[in-house]
Amino acid sequence: MSLETTIDRVEGDETIAIIALDGELDASNFESVIETARGLYDEGVRRLVIDLEKLRFMASSGLVTLHSIVRIMHGEEPLDPEGGWATLHSLEGDKQSEVRLAAPQPAIERVLTRTGLDRMFIVHAYRDAAIAAI
Amino acid sequence: MTATTRRSVRIPAEVERIAEVRALVRGVAEASAAPVACTDDLVQAVDEAATNIVLHGYRGQPGWIDVSAELVGDRIAVTLEDEAPVFDPTLVPEPDLSVPPARRRPGGMGVHLTRLAMDDIDHSPRPGGGNILAMSRRLDPRPKEDRR
Repeated sequence: MSLETTIDRVEGDETIAIIALDGELDASNFESVIETARGLYDEGVRRLVIDLEKLRFMASSGLVTLHSIVRIMHGEEPLDPEGGWATLHSLEGDKQSEVRLAAPQPAIERVLTRTGLDRMFIVHAYRDAAIAAI
Repeated sequence: MTATTRRSVRIPAEVERIAEVRALVRGVAEASAAPVACTDDLVQAVDEAATNIVLHGYRGQPGWIDVSAELVGDRIAVTLEDEAPVFDPTLVPEPDLSVPPARRRPGGMGVHLTRLAMDDIDHSPRPGGGNILAMSRRLDPRPKEDRR
């Protein structure tokens, strides 16, 4: 199973972009998702919801993707994938609010919890709730 | 036991091919009526292990990975063999999530997830060169951390 990425936008005072991931996020495709987020940032998007409802699998490289997207939305460079824990948790502390996660399946939620990334993100049960809250 | 509860495949050491080993392990787990959390853990572990072999074992050089998955009693056993330089992932230190971020040791995320997913992980050098990584997980519906 490959990965399909869909982008939607909710226009308002400030555009909210939604990246919906469908399939499996792994070492072969994680960089494409980072590039998608970079493209949105270059367009001026500063608020982003990552819809995980149809994401069936996420490898550890997917964690790099999520953290890199946060950095991009902060105007910083993406992570070095070889950087591991030292960089992965560099935003630990206050949960950042520009990037929200929505509707993770149990397998994805378990990866977030097992690596402590759940402490960095506000995770919403539903996509619409994330859009309303961001 | 039916034929589908034991499967094996050889893939080139390329990240684009690792989806095949995930599918193989998922197939064996589902044919074995494994609980969903068990299947998810097996798929996570084989992905992380195979990815480490490609990225940190072969380091972009051509190679292969043999993967087999099998229902054995009350658990599913997954074995990966390669001929990359010897590397024992069981010796990678556990990350300490309580340590401030700037002082944490780099790397080890995939190994960390593999450890949490599997009940047993054993590494041995492969005769003739390379590695044999043998892992197994019980057919338990609970994630490992919920069984403590």
